[in-house]
Amino acid sequence: MPMRTENRSATLMRLMEFTDSAFPVGTFSFSGGLETAAATGLVHDAATLEGYTLDSARQSAFTDGIAALHAFRAWHRKELEAVREIDRELLRCKMNTEARLMTRRMGRKLAELAGHIFTDPLLDAWLDEVRAERTPGSYPIAQGIVFAACGIGEQELFCAQQYGAMNLIVSAALRCLRVSHYDTQRILFRAAETLPALYEEVRTLDPEDMNAFVPQIDILASLHEKGTQRMFMN
Amino acid sequence: MNPAAAKEMRPYLEEPKAMPVGTPGKVGYLFLGFELDADGKSILRDLERHAPLIVQQELYFDEQMPEMPCVYVLSSGGPNVDGDRYTQHVVVRDGAFAHVSTGAATKLAEMRYNFSALEQRFEAGRDAYLEYLPEPTIPCRNTRYISRTKLVADPSATIFYSEIFLSGRKYYRDGERFRYDILSVRTEGERPDGERLFREKFVIRPERQSPETIGAMNGYDVFANVVVLTPEEHAEALYAATEPFIDPVRRLAAGITRLPGRSGVLYKVLGAESGPVKRLVREFCSAVRLRVKGKPLPEEFPWR
Repeated sequence: MPMRTENRSATLMRLMEFTDSAFPVGTFSFSGGLETAAATGLVHDAATLEGYTLDSARQSAFTDGIAALHAFRAWHRKELEAVREIDRELLRCKMNTEARLMTRRMGRKLAELAGHIFTDPLLDAWLDEVRAERTPGSYPIAQGIVFAACGIGEQELFCAQQYGAMNLIVSAALRCLRVSHYDTQRILFRAAETLPALYEEVRTLDPEDMNAFVPQIDILASLHEKGTQRMFMN
Repeated sequence: MNPAAAKEMRPYLEEPKAMPVGTPGKVGYLFLGFELDADGKSILRDLERHAPLIVQQELYFDEQMPEMPCVYVLSSGGPNVDGDRYTQHVVVRDGAFAHVSTGAATKLAEMRYNFSALEQRFEAGRDAYLEYLPEPTIPCRNTRYISRTKLVADPSATIFYSEIFLSGRKYYRDGERFRYDILSVRTEGERPDGERLFREKFVIRPERQSPETIGAMNGYDVFANVVVLTPEEHAEALYAATEPFIDPVRRLAAGITRLPGRSGVLYKVLGAESGPVKRLVREFCSAVRLRVKGKPLPEEFPWR
């Protein structure tokens, strides 16, 4: 069976496959609020982009990151009900219509794609629940299940979650800001240094500890949600 | 709730030297029960209080809505100090309505050993209406503060719940901006049958992670968070009528979004000074009252 492989090389390649921005879950359609941040001039160069990216990724570590790790652990305990509960709790903690919509679209997409690629009883059961609208089907939960089913480690899952959050923004930046590939890659390279300490903190937290404090990003998201001109989806 | 059980408060569990946690005068308690009397007048039926939290009686001073019982919560102890534990429970029963505020800003004193906690529960029954519009909260150097708020609203009820946090005593000495140890603030919404609607939590530890970054306070000093639990038709009307904006000249920004579970809206304001932020929150409260009760808020008293 393709899952739970002891072959580290295969696991590593699967980690790269599911984390690759070319993996078709639709990340390219979203900008994480950057479109509005750029339009208002708040983010206007590499330095402000770096600050925005780090803030955005950090708040996702303490919400999506916690949820992904707990879904991953619930998969290992084979507890579908626990997966559903984290899924619902995450949606209750997302204070933004666009963010709720985006995470559900991407989560379902990832689960459906994974279902076409390999078979896993818990993934299938969860996808059934998502299709029946008994659980929201958010992206970090799908990541937790898929990564666990492929034998990928928890820390790798966290790094992939963070990479995804950052890469979504810097990729969007290339389309709505005057920054270069050098800038965005430098931002990602440096951001990697924040991950060890962040993981050590996040892995000790429970779903009830999920928290976020990014009021400026929240206001930008509100402007984006109610705006009429945009390249990126809401 | 046991606030001492929160993970983020673990570094602050030493017994305060002046007066231990639990000493009379450090455990404030308030229970306010509003209901309609036999004549259909909304009154403060139940009042239980333990110092330092004080409420005297309801007053009917709202010129736009003279039938509205208004209550100011006072704290006789001055600022919230090390080891204080306060609980506030406000119930607005079926059909009743009320306006609750505080007499002055809530000052959070410097703390050395322990922390200060506030637990709140606001309940609104069928068609009930509650406005909670307190003055800002001001943390100072080394403040440690945790608040846990539960809003329990019937699907037909409206709860307007606002909070305003300042960065600190901005003009004190050389300025105290974000010099506190920790603010941990959680607000959650529920239905009376226990169905959970949303939970919002933020933890700010300026030493560990600056809240002044571009995605967070971004140079602003005042942050307001307003939760409105209300039936969907009101929520949609409020959402449609409220324009988010970022005004770099006035250093003021506001945004609105829908709460999970179609349970209401969330309004956030950032500003450089408390005055303009308070005005925006009050205007938004007026819009909510106009939508739900058909009347706006009166002009604020000039001394507030």
